[in-house]
Amino acid sequence: MISLRGLALAGVLVTAAIPALAHHGWSWTEEGMFKLTGKITKIYIGNPHATLDVDAEGQIWRVELAPPSRTIAAGFTEDVAKPGDEVIAIGNRSIDHNEKRMKAVRITVNGKNYDVYPDRVPPA
Amino acid sequence: MELLQGIEQLGLVRLLKASFAAYPIVNALHIAAIGGLFTSVILLDLSVLGALRPPGGKAFIVLMRRIAFVAFAGAVVTGLLLFSVRASEYAFMPVFQLKLGLIALAGFNLLLFVQLERRGGSGLRLLAAASLVLWSGALLCGRFIGFV
Repeated sequence: MISLRGLALAGVLVTAAIPALAHHGWSWTEEGMFKLTGKITKIYIGNPHATLDVDAEGQIWRVELAPPSRTIAAGFTEDVAKPGDEVIAIGNRSIDHNEKRMKAVRITVNGKNYDVYPDRVPPA
Repeated sequence: MELLQGIEQLGLVRLLKASFAAYPIVNALHIAAIGGLFTSVILLDLSVLGALRPPGGKAFIVLMRRIAFVAFAGAVVTGLLLFSVRASEYAFMPVFQLKLGLIALAGFNLLLFVQLERRGGSGLRLLAAASLVLWSGALLCGRFIGFV
């Protein structure tokens, strides 16, 4: 019922879709720990994952946190920080350095640590 | 912009934004709908291109078209819900705008196809090939939305 031509076409389509999957999880980030310091400009606690926009020396970074339930479980809610607060984010930076983006494992706001991925926080 | 921020503040949308289970469920339904749409579109287009001889002929085509329309409606509803939680952000993402553009082109392509089919004109295979490319592009753009 399905010809060779049809199979070949389906193969091309599937192959074309694969690069998109490479962005899942941590695969788009570098291995070594990265530290970003700046001022919060925007807080989003919600699905698909919580994010902070951080102004670091005039450049706006997107700091990805965990999904909302996990981020809130780490104690980080919209009540504990506000735009203008200083933040230190530790985590993994995007492999693409043109992209001002990182995935944080720990953020520190107002002297308090919030470990959104505790198992990934490097030992002190 | 105010409209987009208004959408984010709707009661249902706020629930979805903060939910543990609802968001992944809506996300899964969106994928399921896209799976149905993509499969039926591919089978329809391959039939037109002559790469596939569907069993049941016309009846199969009718069934696939019905599935395509129902699945598209499902994808729109679930897609709007996924969009709503960060509407003011997604709306300005080039990859999201590209996805909507490709879907609009695919819809226009379908209109052309139906018109041409009624008149019995030639060029149906070209439109079927365009359909494959447009829907594949829309799928690819959609996968990138969460990561760009």
